[in-house]
Amino acid sequence: MNGSIIIFYLLAAFTLAFGIYSVLCRQIFRSAIYLLFTLVGIAGIYFWLDYEFIAAVQIVVYVGGIVVLIIFSVFLTHQAGEKLPKQLLSRKLFGALAAFCGFALVLLQVFQHEFAVVNKDVPSPTVRDIGSKMLGTDHGGYALPFEVISILLLAAMVGCIVIAMRSRKEVN
Amino acid sequence: MWSFSYIANEIHEWLSKTFNPTWTLIIEMVLAGVAVIGLFAVLGLILVIMERKVSAWIQIRLGPNRVGPKGMMQSMADTVKLMVKEGLTPTGADKIMFNVAPVIAMIVAMLLLAPIAFAKNFQLWDLNIGVLYVSCVSSLMVISILMAGWSSNNKYSLLGAMRSGAQIVSYELSAGLSILTIIVFTGDLQMSKIIASQKTGWWIFKGHIPALIAFITFLIAVTAETNRAPFDLAEAESELTAGFHTEYSGMKFALFFLAEYVNVFIVCAIGATLFLGGWMPFHISTWTGFNHVMDYIPSSIWFFGKTFFLIFVIMWFRWTFPRLRIDQLLNLEWKYLLPISMINLLVATLMAMMGWHF
Amino acid sequence: MFITRYIKEVWGAVKSLTTGMKRTLYYFTHHKEIITEQYPDNRDTLVLPDRFKGEVVMPHNESNEHRCTGCTACELACPNGTIKVITRFDITPEGKKKKAIDKLVYHLELCTMCGLCIEACPSDAIKMAQTFEHSVFDRNKLTKVLNNPDSKIMEGVE
Repeated sequence: MNGSIIIFYLLAAFTLAFGIYSVLCRQIFRSAIYLLFTLVGIAGIYFWLDYEFIAAVQIVVYVGGIVVLIIFSVFLTHQAGEKLPKQLLSRKLFGALAAFCGFALVLLQVFQHEFAVVNKDVPSPTVRDIGSKMLGTDHGGYALPFEVISILLLAAMVGCIVIAMRSRKEVN
Repeated sequence: MWSFSYIANEIHEWLSKTFNPTWTLIIEMVLAGVAVIGLFAVLGLILVIMERKVSAWIQIRLGPNRVGPKGMMQSMADTVKLMVKEGLTPTGADKIMFNVAPVIAMIVAMLLLAPIAFAKNFQLWDLNIGVLYVSCVSSLMVISILMAGWSSNNKYSLLGAMRSGAQIVSYELSAGLSILTIIVFTGDLQMSKIIASQKTGWWIFKGHIPALIAFITFLIAVTAETNRAPFDLAEAESELTAGFHTEYSGMKFALFFLAEYVNVFIVCAIGATLFLGGWMPFHISTWTGFNHVMDYIPSSIWFFGKTFFLIFVIMWFRWTFPRLRIDQLLNLEWKYLLPISMINLLVATLMAMMGWHF
Repeated sequence: MFITRYIKEVWGAVKSLTTGMKRTLYYFTHHKEIITEQYPDNRDTLVLPDRFKGEVVMPHNESNEHRCTGCTACELACPNGTIKVITRFDITPEGKKKKAIDKLVYHLELCTMCGLCIEACPSDAIKMAQTFEHSVFDRNKLTKVLNNPDSKIMEGVE
C-alpha cells in the first residue's frame, strides 16, 4: 500500500462519512454544510486523479454555487438551532430502499464494465485543448451540448428576469 | 546566489540524499506547511501595523506610537492580547459550526497560497489551471462567513452573513471576467506561463486600454470579495456591531481577522501576477542597459514590492471612500461593473485574435 | 440617449473618486500637520480650542466680587438639574431687601456641558472653563460651590 492509495482511502472515507452525516443530521443547516464537505471530498478525488480542471469546476459549480444557494434558502426559511421533526418509519424504510437500489445499480455497472488500462502517457490538457474540444465540431467535440446548455441557461435567465421584474402598473 | 529557489533546491538535495523519496516528500510537505504558517503570522503582524499606520497618515494622525519604536510593535501586543483572551461560545450557538467556521476561513486562505509564485522558480504548486484554481477556491471563502453568521444565532451575524453572501457571489463574476481578460491574452491558466508571457512587458502596459479597465474592475471586485471598506457591509460596525463575527472573541476572532488580511495579500498577489508581471522585473523592450540594471534586483523583491503596492492601493480605497448601501453595492456590480467587464472582455478577445497587443 | 448618459455617469464617478483619492494621497505624502494630541506628554503646551467646554465656573474680580444676581435663570435653563441656586436677602444701606446668592451649587457629575446655563444668564456671571481633568477619588468632591466665600455682587450689576 503506497501513499497514493492511502490518500485515496482517506478522501473516500471523508466523502462517505460526510455524505452519511448529511443524510442523518436533523439540523438542516448542518446537513447543508456536510453536503458541502462531501462535494469538496469529491473534488479532492478529482485532484487526486490529476483532473484539475474537473475538480475546479466541481468546486465552482457545486460548492460556490449550488450549496451557497441551498444555504441561502435555509437562511430565509429556518431558525438557527431548530431541529427537523423525526421522520416516519415507513419513510425511512422507503428512503433506505431507494438508496440501496441506486447503490446496487451503480455497483452492477462498475462490476460489469471492463476498465481498459491505458499504458501510454496522457499529456496533461492545457486550457487551449479544453477550449478547442469544448467548441469542436469534429469527432469528440462538445459544440452541440455546449450550445444546448447555453440556450437552456439563457432561457432560465430570461425566466428569472420575468419573475423578478415588477410590471409598471403595480408600481402606480 | 541566495535566492529562494536556490535555498529550496539545496534543502531538497540534502533531504533526498539523506532520506528515501517518501520521507523526503513528507518532510518537504511539513516544511512547506510550517513556512506557510510562518508567512501567515508575519503577514498578519505586518499588514495590521501597515493598515493602522496608513490609515493614520491618510487621516493626518500619528497612529499607534507607544509600543516599541514608532509603535511598530503594536501588532505584537495585539496578538498577545488576542491569544490570552477567552474564546467564548454563546449558549444558543450551534457549537460545532461555530468553532469550525474560523478554521475553515484559515484553511481556505492556506489553500489559496499554493499556486502563487513568490520568486523566480519558487512556487508551492505550479498546477496547470493556476488561476482557475484560485478563483474556485476563493469561492469557498463565503462558506466560512455563512457558517459563522448562521451558527452564532444572532440577528446581526445572520444579516452580515447574508449581505456578504450576496456580495461575494455577485462580485466573483466581475473578478472572474477581469481575470479572463488576461487569460485571453496569454492563452494559459498556469501561473508560471502567465508570468513568462510578461517578459517583454507587463500586461497592464502590453494590453492597452482593455487591460487597464480589467485591472480597475479587478481591484474593485477583489476589494468587495475580501469584505473591505467601502464594501464592508458584512461587518458594518455602525449597523451590525461587527456582522458575522459579532459573537467571536479571542483566538477564534483572531483567525477571522488574520484570514481577512491574508486574503487581501493573496488577491493582491494574484493581481500583481496577472497584471504587473509577478516576479518579472520591469523591462523596456529596447533599453538593454536599463533592463540589465532591473535584472539585478532580486525577483522576490519585485514580487513583494508589487503586492504591497496593491495592498496599499486597497488600503487607500478603504480610508478614502464611505461605505456603500446594499442596493448601491448590487447596482454597482450588476449595472456597471458586469456590463463593462463583459464588453471589455469582448474587446480584449478581438485584440488577442488580431494580435494588436505588443 | 441612454448610452451617453451611462458613459457620463461612469466618467463622473471615476472623476469624483479620483478627486477624493488625490486628496487622501496628498495627506499621506505630506505628513507634517498632525492633529493627534499626545495628551499626557504635551500637558504644558496643550492648546484647547475656544469652543471647548470643560466645566462651569463663576469668574470673580480682584476684590472678590462676582456678577451673579441670583435670578435662577441658569437653574431653570438646566435640563438635568445640575445647578442649584440658594438665595438669601441682604439688607441694603437704604433699608431695602435685596436678593443675592448665598451659594451657587454646581453638580459636575450631572453636567453634560451643554452650555444652556451660560446662554440663559442675563448678567454673564458664569462661563465655561477649559479645564478637563476632573477625575477625583471621592464623588462628593464633584459637587462644587461656584461663588467664593464672602464674595459680593459687583457694583452696578442688576
